[in-house]
Amino acid sequence: MDVQVGTELPARVVQQVDIGEMKTMAALLRDPNPIHWDPESTRALGMGDRTVNQGPINMAYVMNMLLAWVGNEPTRLRAITLRFMANVFDGDRVLAGGRVTAVREVNGERLADCEVWLDVTGGMRALAGSATVALP
Amino acid sequence: MITEEELESLVGTLFPGGTYTPEPYVNWLTSDCVLAPELINAGVAHPLMIYMATQAGLGLSLEELFALFKGSSEDGPMLGEWGMEVYSAVQVGTSYTVSGAITGVLRKTGKKTGVFDIIQFELQLRATSDADNLVAVTRSSFIFPRRG
Repeated sequence: MDVQVGTELPARVVQQVDIGEMKTMAALLRDPNPIHWDPESTRALGMGDRTVNQGPINMAYVMNMLLAWVGNEPTRLRAITLRFMANVFDGDRVLAGGRVTAVREVNGERLADCEVWLDVTGGMRALAGSATVALP
Repeated sequence: MITEEELESLVGTLFPGGTYTPEPYVNWLTSDCVLAPELINAGVAHPLMIYMATQAGLGLSLEELFALFKGSSEDGPMLGEWGMEVYSAVQVGTSYTVSGAITGVLRKTGKKTGVFDIIQFELQLRATSDADNLVAVTRSSFIFPRRG
C-alpha cells in the first residue's frame, strides 16, 4: 500500500442521515435526550424541526471511512480523537474524509497518522480530528 | 447553578465502574445503524463499541452522569471531544471491566452561548479476565450549557 504524507483517503459519503438510525442508537445507548428521536423536542429548543444525529454515529462514519481504507479490519484503528463542531440533522448528506500527515514505523508495524473530518454537504464541518491506523 | 468551587471539587471523582459485554446483537445493530454492514462479520467488535462499552460500564446512566454535574438532559449537554487509544481488539462476547475518573473541569463564558462548563473524564477498558492489560483508554469532554 503506497502511502505517504499528503495521501488523501477515499471519502465515504452518507447520502441521507436517517432518523431511524438515530432511534436505534438512542435505544442502544440508553440516551434519554429527545433531540435525537423527537422533532417536537428540537422544535421546542429552536433547533429546527429535524432531529439531531448522535455524536457517536457521526464518529462511526469517520471510523468506517478509515477502516474501509485499511481493508475493513477493525483492529487496525489504533487511535482517534474528534472534536464536535456542528450538528448533523436528519436528512443531511455527510462526507467523511482524511489525509495522511505522517507515516511511521513502530515495532515493525507501519502506522499512518491522519487528519480526519466529517463535513455536512452545503453546511459546516461537523467533526474534526486525527486518527492513527496500522497499514496493511 | 453549580458553583465553580463545587465543579472543581469533582476533579478526581472515581466513577463506580462496572462490566460490559459487547453482545452479538448489539454489535450487529451498531454496525447496521452506523451504515457499516461490512463490519458485522469482521470477527471483532465495531470500534464504536469501545465508546458504548465505556459509557455503559462507567456505572452511571447518562442522566446520573449529568446529575453529578448538577445538570440533566434537558439542559442540552453535548459531547465536546472524544478520543480513544486501542491496544488490543475488543471481542464480541467477552466481558470487559470499565474504570475511570473525572480529570478536569473548566467554566467558560461565550458571547452567544453564555456560561458553559466543560467536563473531562478518562475511562479505561480491560478484559475482566485480564485486569493487568489495558485494552483501550477513552478521553471525553462534555459541554454543559448553564442557562440562568
